[in-house]
Amino acid sequence: MKSGQAEIVETSKAIQKSGLMSRRNAILEFILRIVAFFNTITSAILMATTNETLPFFAQFIRFHAEYSDLPALTFFVIANAVVSGYLILSLPLAFVHIVKSKTQNSRVLLIILDVAMLGLLTAGASSAAAIVYLAHKGNNNTNWFSICQQFNSFCERISGSLIGSFVAVFLLILLILLSAIALSRRH
Amino acid sequence: MKNESTFIDVPAESSSAMKGKSPLIGVAKDHTTGGYNRGLSIFDFLLRLAAIVAASVAAGTMFTSDETLPFFTQFLQFEAGYDDLPTFQFFVIAMSMVAGYIVLSLPISVVTIVRPLAAAPRLLLLVLDTAIMGLTMAAASSAAAISYVAHNGNQNTNWLPICQQFGDFCQKTSGAVVSSFVAVVFFMILVVLSGVALKRH
Repeated sequence: MKSGQAEIVETSKAIQKSGLMSRRNAILEFILRIVAFFNTITSAILMATTNETLPFFAQFIRFHAEYSDLPALTFFVIANAVVSGYLILSLPLAFVHIVKSKTQNSRVLLIILDVAMLGLLTAGASSAAAIVYLAHKGNNNTNWFSICQQFNSFCERISGSLIGSFVAVFLLILLILLSAIALSRRH
Repeated sequence: MKNESTFIDVPAESSSAMKGKSPLIGVAKDHTTGGYNRGLSIFDFLLRLAAIVAASVAAGTMFTSDETLPFFTQFLQFEAGYDDLPTFQFFVIAMSMVAGYIVLSLPISVVTIVRPLAAAPRLLLLVLDTAIMGLTMAAASSAAAISYVAHNGNQNTNWLPICQQFGDFCQKTSGAVVSSFVAVVFFMILVVLSGVALKRH
Protein backbone atom coordinates (compact mmCIF):
# COMPACT_ATOMS: atom_id res chain seq x y z
CA MET A 1 0.00 0.00 0.00
CA LYS A 2 2.60 2.47 1.07
CA SER A 3 4.96 1.34 -1.66
CA GLY A 4 2.13 1.68 -4.19
CA GLN A 5 1.55 5.24 -3.07
CA ALA A 6 5.25 6.00 -3.19
CA GLU A 7 5.43 4.62 -6.73
CA ILE A 8 2.58 6.81 -7.87
CA VAL A 9 4.13 9.89 -6.30
CA GLU A 10 7.44 9.13 -7.97
CA THR A 11 5.87 8.57 -11.36
CA SER A 12 3.92 11.80 -11.12
CA LYS A 13 7.15 13.58 -10.22
CA ALA A 14 8.76 12.07 -13.30
CA ILE A 15 5.95 13.37 -15.46
CA GLN A 16 6.23 16.81 -13.86
CA LYS A 17 9.95 16.75 -14.56
CA SER A 18 9.41 15.81 -18.19
CA GLY A 19 6.90 18.63 -18.45
CA LEU A 20 9.54 21.00 -17.08
CA MET A 21 12.12 19.64 -19.51
CA SER A 22 9.90 20.19 -22.49
CA ARG A 23 9.11 23.69 -21.31
CA ARG A 24 12.81 24.41 -20.90
CA ASN A 25 13.33 22.97 -24.37
CA ALA A 26 10.68 25.30 -25.82
CA ILE A 27 12.10 28.37 -24.07
CA LEU A 28 15.59 27.54 -25.34
CA GLU A 29 14.18 27.21 -28.84
CA PHE A 30 12.52 30.60 -28.57
CA ILE A 31 15.75 32.24 -27.41
CA LEU A 32 17.79 30.57 -30.16
CA ARG A 33 15.34 31.83 -32.76
CA ILE A 34 15.74 35.38 -31.56
CA VAL A 35 19.55 35.09 -31.60
CA ALA A 36 19.50 33.58 -35.11
CA PHE A 37 17.21 36.38 -36.28
CA PHE A 38 19.66 39.00 -35.07
CA ASN A 39 22.53 37.20 -36.75
CA THR A 40 20.86 36.99 -40.13
CA ILE A 41 19.51 40.53 -40.14
CA THR A 42 22.95 41.86 -39.15
CA SER A 43 24.61 39.91 -41.95
CA ALA A 44 22.09 41.15 -44.48
CA ILE A 45 22.51 44.77 -43.43
CA LEU A 46 26.30 44.59 -43.28
CA MET A 47 26.48 43.16 -46.75
CA ALA A 48 23.88 45.47 -48.23
CA THR A 49 25.58 48.62 -47.00
CA THR A 50 28.94 47.89 -48.60
CA ASN A 51 30.06 50.76 -50.71
CA GLU A 52 33.63 51.70 -51.39
CA THR A 53 35.02 54.24 -53.79
CA LEU A 54 38.76 54.55 -54.19
CA PRO A 55 40.09 58.09 -54.06
CA PHE A 56 42.31 58.05 -57.14
CA PHE A 57 41.68 57.99 -60.80
CA ALA A 58 42.96 56.09 -63.85
CA GLN A 59 41.56 55.35 -67.23
CA PHE A 60 40.68 51.69 -67.49
CA ILE A 61 40.35 50.34 -63.96
CA ARG A 62 37.18 50.32 -61.92
CA PHE A 63 37.15 52.27 -58.65
CA HIS A 64 33.80 51.54 -57.09
CA ALA A 65 32.76 48.37 -55.31
CA GLU A 66 29.48 47.37 -53.79
CA TYR A 67 27.65 44.16 -53.08
CA SER A 68 25.49 44.30 -56.19
CA ASP A 69 28.58 44.00 -58.38
CA LEU A 70 28.73 40.31 -57.55
CA PRO A 71 25.55 38.24 -58.04
CA ALA A 72 26.50 35.77 -55.30
CA LEU A 73 26.59 38.59 -52.76
CA THR A 74 23.19 39.82 -53.93
CA PHE A 75 21.83 36.31 -53.43
CA PHE A 76 23.43 36.32 -49.97
CA VAL A 77 21.59 39.50 -48.99
CA ILE A 78 18.28 38.18 -50.30
CA ALA A 79 18.68 34.79 -48.59
CA ASN A 80 19.56 36.36 -45.26
CA ALA A 81 16.65 38.78 -45.49
CA VAL A 82 14.19 35.95 -46.27
CA VAL A 83 15.47 33.77 -43.44
CA SER A 84 15.37 36.60 -40.92
CA GLY A 85 11.78 37.35 -41.98
CA TYR A 86 10.91 33.67 -41.53
CA LEU A 87 12.52 33.60 -38.07
CA ILE A 88 10.52 36.59 -36.92
CA LEU A 89 7.31 35.08 -38.26
CA SER A 90 7.99 31.76 -36.54
CA LEU A 91 8.47 33.40 -33.14
CA PRO A 92 4.71 33.32 -32.29
CA LEU A 93 4.62 29.62 -33.14
CA ALA A 94 7.61 28.97 -30.90
CA PHE A 95 5.90 30.94 -28.14
CA VAL A 96 2.82 28.77 -28.47
CA HIS A 97 5.05 25.71 -28.00
CA ILE A 98 6.16 27.07 -24.65
CA VAL A 99 2.63 27.50 -23.42
CA LYS A 100 0.75 24.59 -24.98
CA SER A 101 1.54 20.95 -24.26
CA LYS A 102 0.26 18.97 -27.24
CA THR A 103 2.28 20.48 -30.06
CA GLN A 104 3.25 17.60 -32.30
CA ASN A 105 1.79 18.61 -35.63
CA SER A 106 3.01 22.17 -35.42
CA ARG A 107 6.47 20.91 -34.48
CA VAL A 108 6.57 18.78 -37.62
CA LEU A 109 5.56 21.84 -39.65
CA LEU A 110 8.30 23.82 -37.93
CA ILE A 111 10.88 21.14 -38.76
CA ILE A 112 9.87 21.19 -42.43
CA LEU A 113 10.14 24.97 -42.63
CA ASP A 114 13.39 25.03 -40.67
CA VAL A 115 14.95 22.49 -43.02
CA ALA A 116 13.96 24.55 -46.05
CA MET A 117 15.32 27.74 -44.50
CA LEU A 118 18.51 25.94 -43.49
CA GLY A 119 19.01 24.95 -47.12
CA LEU A 120 18.42 28.49 -48.35
CA LEU A 121 20.68 30.10 -45.76
CA THR A 122 23.49 27.60 -46.30
CA ALA A 123 23.26 28.13 -50.04
CA GLY A 124 23.54 31.89 -49.65
CA ALA A 125 26.34 31.75 -47.11
CA SER A 126 28.43 29.20 -49.03
CA SER A 127 28.14 30.84 -52.43
CA ALA A 128 29.10 34.17 -50.88
CA ALA A 129 31.98 32.47 -49.08
CA ALA A 130 33.26 31.00 -52.35
CA ILE A 131 33.14 34.39 -54.04
CA VAL A 132 34.77 36.14 -51.06
CA TYR A 133 37.55 33.55 -51.11
CA LEU A 134 38.03 34.24 -54.79
CA ALA A 135 38.08 37.98 -54.13
CA HIS A 136 40.75 37.51 -51.48
CA LYS A 137 43.02 35.06 -53.21
CA GLY A 138 42.24 35.34 -56.89
CA ASN A 139 43.05 32.39 -59.08
CA ASN A 140 46.21 32.03 -61.13
CA ASN A 141 44.95 29.26 -63.35
CA THR A 142 41.93 31.15 -64.63
CA ASN A 143 43.51 34.62 -64.56
CA TRP A 144 41.00 35.94 -62.06
CA PHE A 145 42.55 38.83 -60.25
CA SER A 146 42.00 39.24 -56.52
CA ILE A 147 40.14 42.51 -56.02
CA CYS A 148 40.92 42.74 -52.31
CA GLN A 149 44.30 44.18 -53.02
CA GLN A 150 42.55 47.32 -54.19
CA PHE A 151 39.41 47.39 -52.10
CA ASN A 152 40.43 46.77 -48.51
CA SER A 153 37.44 47.92 -46.48
CA PHE A 154 34.99 46.39 -48.96
CA CYS A 155 36.69 43.04 -48.56
CA GLU A 156 36.77 43.27 -44.78
CA ARG A 157 33.07 44.11 -44.73
CA ILE A 158 32.01 41.22 -46.93
CA SER A 159 34.18 38.76 -45.01
CA GLY A 160 32.79 39.91 -41.67
CA SER A 161 29.19 39.65 -42.72
CA LEU A 162 29.69 35.98 -43.54
CA ILE A 163 30.34 35.16 -39.89
CA GLY A 164 26.86 36.09 -38.69
CA SER A 165 25.33 33.99 -41.42
CA PHE A 166 27.33 30.88 -40.58
CA VAL A 167 26.50 31.26 -36.89
CA ALA A 168 22.83 31.40 -37.87
CA VAL A 169 23.28 28.18 -39.91
CA PHE A 170 24.64 26.45 -36.82
CA LEU A 171 21.76 27.81 -34.72
CA LEU A 172 19.21 26.55 -37.24
CA ILE A 173 20.72 23.06 -37.04
CA LEU A 174 20.40 23.29 -33.22
CA LEU A 175 16.77 24.38 -33.60
CA ILE A 176 15.98 21.38 -35.80
CA LEU A 177 17.66 19.15 -33.23
CA LEU A 178 15.60 20.67 -30.41
CA SER A 179 12.35 20.20 -32.33
CA ALA A 180 13.27 16.57 -33.02
CA ILE A 181 14.06 15.92 -29.36
CA ALA A 182 10.77 17.48 -28.32
CA LEU A 183 8.95 15.30 -30.87
CA SER A 184 10.64 12.13 -29.72
CA ARG A 185 9.91 12.81 -26.11
CA ARG A 186 6.12 12.56 -26.28
CA HIS A 187 4.90 9.44 -24.56
CA MET B 1 1.87 -7.77 -25.06
CA LYS B 2 3.03 -7.60 -21.50
CA ASN B 3 6.05 -5.41 -21.91
CA GLU B 4 4.11 -2.75 -23.77
CA SER B 5 1.81 -1.78 -20.91
CA THR B 6 2.64 -0.99 -17.36
CA PHE B 7 0.39 -1.52 -14.40
CA ILE B 8 0.69 -0.36 -10.91
CA ASP B 9 -0.82 -3.18 -8.91
CA VAL B 10 -2.40 -1.86 -5.78
CA PRO B 11 -3.95 -4.26 -3.27
CA ALA B 12 -7.73 -4.07 -3.03
CA GLU B 13 -7.91 -3.01 0.62
CA SER B 14 -6.05 0.20 0.00
CA SER B 15 -8.25 1.27 -2.86
CA SER B 16 -10.14 3.53 -0.53
CA ALA B 17 -6.91 5.38 0.15
CA MET B 18 -6.14 6.01 -3.51
CA LYS B 19 -8.93 7.06 -5.80
CA GLY B 20 -9.03 3.98 -8.00
CA LYS B 21 -6.37 3.22 -10.56
CA SER B 22 -4.02 6.08 -11.04
CA PRO B 23 -4.11 7.80 -14.44
CA LEU B 24 -0.35 7.26 -14.66
CA ILE B 25 -0.73 3.76 -16.03
CA GLY B 26 0.73 3.52 -19.47
CA VAL B 27 -1.42 2.16 -22.24
CA ALA B 28 -0.42 -0.52 -24.67
CA LYS B 29 1.20 0.94 -27.76
CA ASP B 30 -1.01 1.11 -30.78
CA HIS B 31 0.12 -1.61 -33.18
CA THR B 32 -1.09 0.14 -36.32
CA THR B 33 1.51 2.94 -36.11
CA GLY B 34 4.25 0.31 -36.34
CA GLY B 35 3.24 -0.53 -39.91
CA TYR B 36 3.12 3.11 -40.99
CA ASN B 37 6.52 3.78 -39.48
CA ARG B 38 7.94 0.71 -41.16
CA GLY B 39 6.71 1.98 -44.51
CA LEU B 40 8.39 5.32 -43.83
CA SER B 41 11.61 3.51 -42.92
CA ILE B 42 11.62 1.52 -46.13
CA PHE B 43 11.11 4.69 -48.14
CA ASP B 44 13.94 6.24 -46.11
CA PHE B 45 16.23 3.34 -47.04
CA LEU B 46 15.42 3.62 -50.74
CA LEU B 47 16.02 7.37 -50.67
CA ARG B 48 19.40 6.74 -49.07
CA LEU B 49 20.35 4.41 -51.92
CA ALA B 50 19.34 7.09 -54.41
CA ALA B 51 21.32 9.70 -52.46
CA ILE B 52 24.45 7.49 -52.60
CA VAL B 53 24.13 7.44 -56.37
CA ALA B 54 23.62 11.21 -56.56
CA ALA B 55 26.54 12.05 -54.28
CA SER B 56 29.00 9.65 -55.89
CA VAL B 57 28.01 10.76 -59.40
CA ALA B 58 28.64 14.36 -58.35
CA ALA B 59 32.04 13.57 -56.85
CA GLY B 60 33.07 11.33 -59.74
CA THR B 61 32.01 13.72 -62.49
CA MET B 62 33.85 16.61 -60.90
CA PHE B 63 36.92 14.48 -60.29
CA THR B 64 37.17 13.36 -63.91
CA SER B 65 36.37 16.72 -65.47
CA ASP B 66 39.92 17.37 -66.73
CA GLU B 67 40.22 18.93 -70.13
CA THR B 68 43.25 19.72 -72.26
CA LEU B 69 42.86 21.94 -75.26
CA PRO B 70 44.51 20.68 -78.42
CA PHE B 71 46.47 23.80 -79.47
CA PHE B 72 49.43 25.64 -78.11
CA THR B 73 50.42 29.27 -77.38
CA GLN B 74 53.01 30.81 -75.15
CA PHE B 75 51.11 32.60 -72.39
CA LEU B 76 47.72 30.99 -71.95
CA GLN B 77 46.69 28.01 -69.88
CA PHE B 78 45.41 25.03 -71.87
CA GLU B 79 44.60 22.54 -69.20
CA ALA B 80 41.68 22.72 -66.82
CA GLY B 81 40.92 20.35 -63.99
CA TYR B 82 39.01 20.39 -60.74
CA ASP B 83 42.19 21.03 -58.78
CA ASP B 84 42.69 24.40 -60.44
CA LEU B 85 39.95 25.83 -58.27
CA PRO B 86 40.04 25.30 -54.49
CA THR B 87 36.25 25.44 -54.33
CA PHE B 88 36.01 22.46 -56.67
CA GLN B 89 38.56 20.62 -54.55
CA PHE B 90 36.35 21.23 -51.53
CA PHE B 91 33.38 20.01 -53.58
CA VAL B 92 35.03 16.69 -54.45
CA ILE B 93 36.18 16.07 -50.89
CA ALA B 94 32.82 17.02 -49.36
CA MET B 95 30.81 14.90 -51.81
CA SER B 96 33.00 11.87 -51.20
CA MET B 97 32.55 12.30 -47.46
CA VAL B 98 28.80 12.59 -47.92
CA ALA B 99 28.66 9.43 -50.01
CA GLY B 100 30.70 7.62 -47.37
CA TYR B 101 28.40 8.88 -44.63
CA ILE B 102 25.27 7.62 -46.39
CA VAL B 103 26.82 4.20 -46.83
CA LEU B 104 27.61 4.13 -43.12
CA SER B 105 24.10 5.25 -42.18
CA LEU B 106 22.47 2.39 -44.10
CA PRO B 107 22.72 -0.02 -41.10
CA ILE B 108 21.00 2.50 -38.84
CA SER B 109 18.25 2.85 -41.42
CA VAL B 110 17.87 -0.94 -41.44
CA VAL B 111 17.53 -0.82 -37.65
CA THR B 112 14.63 1.61 -38.01
CA ILE B 113 12.95 -0.80 -40.43
CA VAL B 114 13.36 -3.69 -38.05
CA ARG B 115 12.25 -1.71 -35.00
CA PRO B 116 9.79 0.84 -36.32
CA LEU B 117 8.72 2.23 -32.97
CA ALA B 118 12.15 2.97 -31.51
CA ALA B 119 12.88 6.68 -31.26
CA ALA B 120 16.64 6.72 -30.64
CA PRO B 121 17.92 5.54 -34.06
CA ARG B 122 15.54 7.90 -35.84
CA LEU B 123 16.62 10.83 -33.73
CA LEU B 124 20.26 10.02 -34.41
CA LEU B 125 19.60 9.77 -38.14
CA LEU B 126 17.71 13.06 -38.13
CA VAL B 127 20.53 14.94 -36.44
CA LEU B 128 23.26 13.46 -38.63
CA ASP B 129 21.23 13.97 -41.78
CA THR B 130 20.66 17.62 -40.95
CA ALA B 131 24.35 18.25 -40.40
CA ILE B 132 25.35 16.39 -43.57
CA MET B 133 22.65 18.23 -45.51
CA GLY B 134 24.28 21.48 -44.43
CA LEU B 135 27.65 20.25 -45.67
CA THR B 136 26.25 19.05 -48.99
CA MET B 137 24.41 22.31 -49.56
CA ALA B 138 27.58 24.26 -48.74
CA ALA B 139 29.63 22.28 -51.28
CA ALA B 140 26.90 22.42 -53.92
CA SER B 141 26.22 26.15 -53.68
CA SER B 142 29.87 27.23 -53.49
CA ALA B 143 30.63 25.16 -56.60
CA ALA B 144 27.54 26.63 -58.24
CA ALA B 145 28.75 30.17 -57.50
CA ILE B 146 32.15 29.42 -59.05
CA SER B 147 30.50 27.73 -62.05
CA TYR B 148 28.37 30.81 -62.52
CA VAL B 149 31.44 33.04 -62.62
CA ALA B 150 33.15 30.59 -64.98
CA HIS B 151 30.17 30.68 -67.32
CA ASN B 152 29.36 34.37 -67.23
CA GLY B 153 32.45 36.11 -65.94
CA ASN B 154 32.08 39.36 -64.06
CA GLN B 155 32.40 42.77 -65.65
CA ASN B 156 32.96 44.65 -62.44
CA THR B 157 35.91 42.60 -61.24
CA ASN B 158 37.38 41.81 -64.66
CA TRP B 159 36.97 38.09 -64.31
CA LEU B 160 36.78 36.50 -67.73
CA PRO B 161 34.46 33.55 -68.34
CA ILE B 162 36.71 30.57 -68.92
CA CYS B 163 33.90 28.46 -70.31
CA GLN B 164 34.36 30.03 -73.68
CA GLN B 165 37.62 28.13 -73.95
CA PHE B 166 36.91 25.04 -71.87
CA GLY B 167 33.48 23.88 -72.95
CA ASP B 168 33.72 20.25 -71.82
CA PHE B 169 35.15 21.13 -68.43
CA CYS B 170 32.35 23.57 -67.80
CA GLN B 171 29.70 21.09 -68.87
CA LYS B 172 30.99 18.39 -66.59
CA THR B 173 31.32 20.65 -63.59
CA SER B 174 27.82 22.00 -64.12
CA GLY B 175 26.49 18.45 -64.30
CA ALA B 176 28.26 17.60 -61.06
CA VAL B 177 26.74 20.64 -59.36
CA VAL B 178 23.23 19.69 -60.52
CA SER B 179 23.71 16.15 -59.21
CA SER B 180 24.78 17.46 -55.83
CA PHE B 181 21.69 19.67 -55.62
CA VAL B 182 19.60 16.55 -56.26
CA ALA B 183 21.40 14.92 -53.32
CA VAL B 184 20.52 17.94 -51.17
CA VAL B 185 16.83 17.56 -52.03
CA PHE B 186 17.03 13.88 -51.07
CA PHE B 187 18.50 14.84 -47.72
CA MET B 188 15.77 17.36 -47.07
CA ILE B 189 13.14 14.69 -47.71
CA LEU B 190 15.02 12.28 -45.44
CA VAL B 191 15.04 14.75 -42.56
CA VAL B 192 11.33 15.47 -42.93
CA LEU B 193 10.61 11.72 -43.07
CA SER B 194 12.49 11.13 -39.85
CA GLY B 195 10.60 13.98 -38.24
CA VAL B 196 7.20 12.61 -39.28
CA ALA B 197 8.15 9.11 -38.14
CA LEU B 198 9.28 10.47 -34.77
CA LYS B 199 5.93 12.11 -34.29
CA ARG B 200 4.22 8.75 -34.43
CA HIS B 201 6.56 6.73 -32.30
